[in-house]
Amino acid sequence: MFDHTFKTAAVFASLGLVIAVVNARPAPAQEAGAVTVTFSGITRPTGALMVGVYDSEAAFAGGKPVEGFRLTVDGPQANQVITGLKPGSYAIKVFHDVDGDGRMNTNGFGIPTEPYAASNNAPSRMGPPSWADARFEVTAEGAAQTITID
Amino acid sequence: MDRRAFLTAAAAAGLAQVVTPEQAFARAAASQPAWSLAVGDVMGDIPRQSLRRIHGKPPAGLAGTLYRNGPARFRRPGGDATHWFDGDGLVRAFRIGPDDASLEAKFVDTFKRRQDAAARAVITPGFGTLGSDRAVIGSADDTNAANTALLPIGGELLALWEAGSPYSVDPATLETRGLKTFSPELAHMPFLAHPRIEPGGRVWNLGLAGRRAIVWTLAPSGAVERTTLVDLPRASFIHDFTATDRHLVIVLQPLIQDRMVLPFVDAFSWRPEEGTQVLVLDKDDLSRRRLYDLPAFFFFHLGDAWAEADGTVRFDACLDSTPDFAVHGARDILTGKPAPNGVSLAMVALHPDGRAELNRTPLTAEFPRADPRRAGLSRSKTIINSVRTQGRPLLRGVGVSDWRTGKADLFDYGPDHCAEELLFVPRPGDGNELGGWLVGTSLNLKARATELHVFDAAHVSDGPLCSWRAEVGLPVGFHGAWVGG
Repeated sequence: MFDHTFKTAAVFASLGLVIAVVNARPAPAQEAGAVTVTFSGITRPTGALMVGVYDSEAAFAGGKPVEGFRLTVDGPQANQVITGLKPGSYAIKVFHDVDGDGRMNTNGFGIPTEPYAASNNAPSRMGPPSWADARFEVTAEGAAQTITID
Repeated sequence: MDRRAFLTAAAAAGLAQVVTPEQAFARAAASQPAWSLAVGDVMGDIPRQSLRRIHGKPPAGLAGTLYRNGPARFRRPGGDATHWFDGDGLVRAFRIGPDDASLEAKFVDTFKRRQDAAARAVITPGFGTLGSDRAVIGSADDTNAANTALLPIGGELLALWEAGSPYSVDPATLETRGLKTFSPELAHMPFLAHPRIEPGGRVWNLGLAGRRAIVWTLAPSGAVERTTLVDLPRASFIHDFTATDRHLVIVLQPLIQDRMVLPFVDAFSWRPEEGTQVLVLDKDDLSRRRLYDLPAFFFFHLGDAWAEADGTVRFDACLDSTPDFAVHGARDILTGKPAPNGVSLAMVALHPDGRAELNRTPLTAEFPRADPRRAGLSRSKTIINSVRTQGRPLLRGVGVSDWRTGKADLFDYGPDHCAEELLFVPRPGDGNELGGWLVGTSLNLKARATELHVFDAAHVSDGPLCSWRAEVGLPVGFHGAWVGG
């Protein structure tokens, strides 16, 4: 809360901005199964979901995603199948770019004003969701995530 | 534990003297002082009930609703709030009609209250409560207790806290409509519990984030006219500010936020050697500012300010010499410990030549209010809670202090009462300062009941013109608002 506005301002600001839409990488030699992601609970059917997939704690905290997607929002739910990942630990963060301006809006003190969420529906506790809460394993069989946003 | 189980357990323990449950409960109750009712728990909403008139009769022409807010649920099975300011906000409506009066109260349905209820423990951090890392907190509004004050505006009753948005409450039903977001880019911006309202209805308020503040200006309709971000010279604890018709007056006490820890109050250091600063901003141009220096003091509440013809700005304040009550006392009272404070009335003068004066009085005073028709304009009268009982944290009397005469017109409810804030209600057709009534409540500890009182504002020491008593004794609250009609 209060004092944490300082901390959250900086961290939250990075949350949105680092999710760049990147091109799909060449398929690695040993591919994991597909990751099926369902985004549910969308209350405002406008704009887009900006989704980042991360393969390490450092990247999740503010580095580059291994995959990024922009999913147009036209209803209460959106889906994405992610392929080409190597087996391992990943975490997803997403924000709903409600006004479609391509960035996560924040208020004058840097607090997000557009909805955001993470894999495992990892909670925010005085700051963005943690890697420990958001990480999930992607195996040869793939993985499935349902992330509630809004 | 039922009676049989208790007795069996006592016998099994081989107690020489068996203590019955009745005795045990009596001993437990005796260990808590009588005033602990003032910080007790209300377990649910209070349906509308008639108030019983116990004294006098209501003055002709007085009709309306006294809305009050204050924390009223502190304890849950798996863990309690550990600071008075962290209880769930309970909005009370005392409705006064020509023939009767009633009370209804509903908790503000906050995210915090829902989260704590689901956890069966107070897990949400707060002003002085550490909480648990099990709490989900996406923004300060997820810790918002909506428990401090009320602003009726634009057909809404806004339940105010300090570090987050208001909650919108239906004035007729007291149902929570939800978090108030003035516009998308203002979501979760803090909105202090002490907006300053000009006589014409325009509202000024602040929200704080360390050394930065948002200045809110609302139209009388409740719409945002303007918001401006301003920098402050220090990250002071600011619960209240004041205003003249032309200035915002921001008092920066030397309780300074200098670390990032929970709970909030633990992030501050008391640095009396740095004194108190007063920042005065021009309402028409917030970049025009003056800074004044005063000796160190602690305060929660200020009176309405005014500017004199020569440019001198004056306002009164309820001062204490240290922040001990905020930091420790308001924790201690939840466990029944006496929590001394030395709050008393003072007048500040900020002179055009840059000098600042602080004139303290020995008059015990808190919850200062004034005639809202003179907000920001010259006045002499300050409505207060007063009269201290040794060893008790809450005051037991009310009154009006007059700066012109130096006299205070006080009424002592007596040792069985905890006084609550009094508000001024104008008498129709009377334009004199405090020409009308004072309406407020007290908690009668002996009757274990909340009472509603009306005074003639010119004769407070004569006692209430009329008093009513509820069937319930609600914990002592903080601030309210009067809505006539």
